[in-house]
Amino acid sequence: MAINTASSVPTNTGSADSSAATAGIPGDPEPTTSFTFGELLSSRTVIGQTLKELGETHDNLWVLTPDIGATLVEFRDTYPDRFVDVGLSEQACVGIAAGLANEGNIPVVSGMLPFLSMRALEQVRSDICYPNLPVKIVGTHGGLVGNGGSTHYAVEDLGLMTSLVNMTVTSIGDPLMVGEVLRQSMSMTGPLYIRLAVGKKDKVIYEPGSVAVEIGKGITAREGTDLTLFAHGETVSQALEAAEVLAAEHGIDARVVDMFTLKPIDADLIQRCAEETGRFVVVEDHLAYGGLASQVSDVIADRGLRLEGFRRLGIPQVFAGFGEDTELRDKHGYGLQATVDAALAVTENRPSACANQGSAA
Amino acid sequence: MVSGDIDHISAKWLGNAIFPGEHMAATIIRPETDVSELEDLSYDLREKLLLLCGEYDGSVHIGGDLSCADILTLLFQYGMHVDPQDLHNPERDRFVLSKGHAAVCMYITMAIRGFFDYREIVDTYGQLGSAYGMHPCKVQLPGVEVSTGSLGHGLPLATGMALHGRRSGMDHRVFTLMGDGETGEGSVWEAALAAHSNNLGNLVAFIDRNRQLMTSFSEERVKLEPYPDKWRAFGWNVIEVDGHDMGALVAAFDSLPDPDSDTPTVIVCDTVKGKGVDFMEANLAWHAGSLNDKDLQRALAALADGRKAA
Repeated sequence: MAINTASSVPTNTGSADSSAATAGIPGDPEPTTSFTFGELLSSRTVIGQTLKELGETHDNLWVLTPDIGATLVEFRDTYPDRFVDVGLSEQACVGIAAGLANEGNIPVVSGMLPFLSMRALEQVRSDICYPNLPVKIVGTHGGLVGNGGSTHYAVEDLGLMTSLVNMTVTSIGDPLMVGEVLRQSMSMTGPLYIRLAVGKKDKVIYEPGSVAVEIGKGITAREGTDLTLFAHGETVSQALEAAEVLAAEHGIDARVVDMFTLKPIDADLIQRCAEETGRFVVVEDHLAYGGLASQVSDVIADRGLRLEGFRRLGIPQVFAGFGEDTELRDKHGYGLQATVDAALAVTENRPSACANQGSAA
Repeated sequence: MVSGDIDHISAKWLGNAIFPGEHMAATIIRPETDVSELEDLSYDLREKLLLLCGEYDGSVHIGGDLSCADILTLLFQYGMHVDPQDLHNPERDRFVLSKGHAAVCMYITMAIRGFFDYREIVDTYGQLGSAYGMHPCKVQLPGVEVSTGSLGHGLPLATGMALHGRRSGMDHRVFTLMGDGETGEGSVWEAALAAHSNNLGNLVAFIDRNRQLMTSFSEERVKLEPYPDKWRAFGWNVIEVDGHDMGALVAAFDSLPDPDSDTPTVIVCDTVKGKGVDFMEANLAWHAGSLNDKDLQRALAALADGRKAA
C-alpha cells in the first residue's frame, strides 16, 4: 500500500502539550515522497527533510554537529549561516548550542549518542538543563546497533538523560515519528533528547495518520488483555512481532505499548495497563537497569500498583561485544525469543493459561 | 518531575532568553570614565569585597576575586556597552563569567554600575533563597547572562553567543573571563578552534593569568607556558597586558579590533592572586577563605597602604 509520508505536513506550531498531532495527516498540501507501509525508511533522511522544512518557518532554528552532518546536507545547503559543524568537539558543540539558545535560538545538535550523552554530559546538564534552554539533541547509535563495539553503543544514555532536571527524553523507532516529534518540539521551552538506533533503515511501524503522537504520552501500538509489552525505539517492532507469535502459537493476547517518551513518563497509561492486563514485560535496547524498565518500576512503586508478573529484558552488566543487532539481542537475552518466553513466564498463571495448562496436562 | 505532566516543563522558567526583534531599544553608550576614576572604582570594588568577606560566615574565593577585580572594573565601568536599566537590549555587549567562582566580584562590580544593590548582596550572599550565590545563576538573577561555575564552559557558551551576534548582523561584542587554570579544560580549546574557524572577531576572552590553581602554582604542576603562543597557534589575536595596570587595560581594550573583524581576541592579563592585600598575594592559603574581624581590619589596612604606595 503506497502512502504519502508526513515529510511535508504543515509545521505544528501549537504547543506540544495540547496538540495530539498525528504522523502523516491526510491532505498534505504537496506530498514529496511516498513509501510503502511496513517498508524501511531512513530516520536520518526524515530528520534532514524535517529540519529543512522547519528552517523555513523558524528563522531561529540552528543545526550543529560534531562531524556527523552528512545526512543534514539539506539543512546545511539551504541555511549555511545556521549550520555549524565544529568537528570532533562534542563539549564545545553542546556549549555553543547553549550559547545560541541563550540568545533566543532553537539549536538542534545532531551526532552520535554515546559521545553526546557522555562526553558532553556536563554541558548538557549545566549549560542546557540548568537554564532550561530549548536545545534538541538528536542522535544515533542508541543500543547495541551499528556493530561498532562498546565504544560506539549508547547503552547508558537513557539512565543519564532521564536523571537530568528539565530534560524531556524520547526514544523513537518509527522514522516518521521522528519528524513529528521534531515539529512538536519547536514550541517546547526546555531541552529534548531524541534517541534513534542507526537511523539508516528503520521500520515504519505506524500507518501514517493511524496513531496520535504526543510527547509525554505512550502509544498503544497493539491492544491486548493478557499482558502488556512495553518497549521503545527499535524494540517496539520486536515487541509487536512477539505479540503476533504469542497470539498465533500460544493464544495469548499481548498489548504493546510504545513508550517513546521515557520522561515525563506516561504514568496514567502504565496504571491503566496494570489494571487491565496485570502483567508487564519491558523490553529495551538499553541496560536493563536505568532505562524504561526502571521508569516503569518507579511508577509501580510510587503508585502502589499490584502486578501478577513483571520481567525486564535489556542489556545485562556486560560490555556487549560485536555482532549484528538481532544477534546481540539474542546473545544477551532480550531478543524476540526471549521476549516471547518472558511473556509466557508472566502469563503462566493467568486464568485462561491455567485452563490451557489444565487441558494440556 | 511530575509524571506525565509536560506542562510542568514548558511552564517553567523561560530564563531571560531574549528574542531578537522583540526589543527596540536605544543604543547603549559606554560610560566616559578616565583611568584614575577607574582605579578608584577598582579600589571601591576590592574594599567592598573584603567587607563582604568579613560579614559572610562562609568561605569566599577571595584570591581569584582580587586577581580579576581590575579586569571586571575595566569591563563593567569602562569597556562594555551595558545598561542596568535595559537588560534585554539586543545591542548590549554580553559577558560570560567563565571563572564562575569569582561571582561575588562580578555581583559587586555590577552593583557599582547600578545593576544590583550592594547592601542586598552583603545581607543575603549564600543564604537560602538568595539569588547571590557562590556561582552565578542567570535564572535567579536577571542581568547575569549565563549560569556558570563548572570550569571550561564559558568559552563554548560565549562562542555560541558570538555566532548569534555575527549571524544577526549586530555589532555588539561577547566577552568572557577565564582563569588561566581553567584553560586546562579541553573544552576551552575545542571552543578556541570553533571561534577561529567561524571568524568570530566579536568574541573577546580575558584570561586572569594569576598563575595559581587551587592547590599549587600553575607552572609547577601544569606548564602552560609559552601561554600566549598557544592562543596564537589557535589563530587568535593575542594582547598581553599587566592585569592590574588600569591605564594598560584601557589601552588594550581600546585597541580591540572591530567586532565585525574576523579574528577572535584573547587578552592575557598578567595578574596576582590576592592582589591588593599583601598577605594574600600569591599565597596558596588564600585561594578561598573567610575573614574574622581582626583579619578584616588587617586586610583593609593593607589595601589602603597599597593604594598610598601606588
